[in-house]
Amino acid sequence: MLLTLDLNDPRPLHEQVAEAIRRAVAEGSYAPGDRLPPARDVAAALGVNANTVLRALRDLRDEGVLEFRRGRGVSVLNRPDPRSVIEEKLRSLLAEAVQYGYRHDDVIELIRELS
Amino acid sequence: MGLRGRFLFAAAGWFALVTAALVAAPLTLWSRLPDPVAVHWGLSGAPDGSMPLAALLLLDVGLWALVAVGACAPALGRAAVLRRRAGRMGIGALLGGVGLFFVGLQASTLWANLDAPGWRQAAHLGWGVVVPLAGLLAGGALGALAGRPGPDEPPPRADVPVRGIRLRHGQRAVWVSSVRNGWLTVIGGALLASGIALCVLTLIGGDRTLLPPSAVTAVAGLAAVTFGSVHVQITGDGLLVAYGPLRHPRRRIPLAKVERAWSEELFPAQVGGWGLRGLPGASTIMIRGGECLVVGYVSGGRLTVSIDDAASGAALLNTLVAGASAGPALRR
Repeated sequence: MLLTLDLNDPRPLHEQVAEAIRRAVAEGSYAPGDRLPPARDVAAALGVNANTVLRALRDLRDEGVLEFRRGRGVSVLNRPDPRSVIEEKLRSLLAEAVQYGYRHDDVIELIRELS
Repeated sequence: MGLRGRFLFAAAGWFALVTAALVAAPLTLWSRLPDPVAVHWGLSGAPDGSMPLAALLLLDVGLWALVAVGACAPALGRAAVLRRRAGRMGIGALLGGVGLFFVGLQASTLWANLDAPGWRQAAHLGWGVVVPLAGLLAGGALGALAGRPGPDEPPPRADVPVRGIRLRHGQRAVWVSSVRNGWLTVIGGALLASGIALCVLTLIGGDRTLLPPSAVTAVAGLAAVTFGSVHVQITGDGLLVAYGPLRHPRRRIPLAKVERAWSEELFPAQVGGWGLRGLPGASTIMIRGGECLVVGYVSGGRLTVSIDDAASGAALLNTLVAGASAGPALRR
C-alpha cells in the first residue's frame, strides 16, 4: 500500500493518514475484500503513533470504506466515495499551485480554460 | 583445468569420501551390530522399526548418490550455473549438507545399535536425533563456503521497464505491504503449542526422554509461525523485510545498495519451491505464488519477495533510489 503524506499539510495527522489510505484504496491496488497491511507496520513506516493510524482506520470504517473483522484484521469493504477522492486531489492541486505562486482564482480560471 | 573440470573434480572427490564413510563404517562394525538393525525410534525413545543391515547400507548410499547426481545435474547441463557465485554456493551447500546429513544419520543409527543383541534392545536415540541436523547445517555452511571463491557473473536482467512515481516537493511517500501463508501459520501455531505443552509436561513428569522431540517440535512450530508471514516496508531509509508476528528476524537494505526494482508474476515452481531460498546476494522469499517484488542490487544480485501490491512498491523504490542518487537534498 503506497501512502503519501504532505509535510506542509496543516490538518491533523490522523486525517492525513486516513486521506492517504483512502487514496491508496481508490487507486485500485486493493480491491474490496483484500486485507490491509497491519496498522503497526503502517505506523512504523510513516513514523507516526499506532493510535493515529488506528484512529484513521476507524474513521474510514465509519465512512464505510473499511471493515474490521476479528482475527482477520482490516479489509476493504467498498471503494471510497469518488467525490472525496476528487476533493483530495483538488486540495493537493491547490497546495501545489500556491507553491508556484498561483492563487485559487487562477486555478479556477485554468480549469475553465481546459474544460 | 576449466571451471567445470575443477567443479567435477571437487564434487567427485567429496562424493567418494562420503560414500566411503557410509560404506566403511557398517562394514567395520558388522560383527558388533545386530542384523536387522533398528532404524526407527518411536516418540517414547524405544526402537520401533528395523531393516537388514545390507538394505540400510544400500538405502543410505543410494539416496546419497541420487541427491549428489541431482545436485550436480544443473551444473553439468549449463556451465553458466557455475560461473555464478550463488549457483556454486547453492550446489556446494546441497552436496556438503546432504553428505554430512547422511553421515550423521548413519553414525547415530549405528551408535544406538552398537553391541545390542537384537534390534529391539538398541539404545535410545537421545540427543543423537540432532546429529544429522547438525551435520546438515554444518555441511551446508562449509559447502557454501567452498563454492564462494571464483568468478561471479550476474544473471541476465529481466527486461522490465522501470516505473517510478511523481513526488512533489515536501511529499513523503512510504509503501507497506505484507503477506501471510495462513496454512503455515496455523500448522506452526499448533506445532508450537503442542511442543511447548509437551516440554512442560515432560519437565513436570521428570521423564526426560521426550524432551528432545518436544523441543524440536516447538522450534519447528516457531520457525513455521515466524516464516509464515512477511512484512515489507519501503521508506526513505530503504527496504525493510521482517518476518512473523514479532517482526524478527528483520533485514534492512539501504537505498545505496539498490539499483532498481520491478514486479513480476512468479510461482514456487519457477524459483524452486516455497520458502526462503538462495544465499545472501540472490535470495527469494516465496510464501505464495503470484505477484512478487524483485529488487536488483547494484552488486548484480537480486532479492525476490512474494508480496501484494508489488508494482507500487517497485515504483516507489525506483523513485527513492533516483532521488537518493540525485543528491541527499532531494531526498525527503
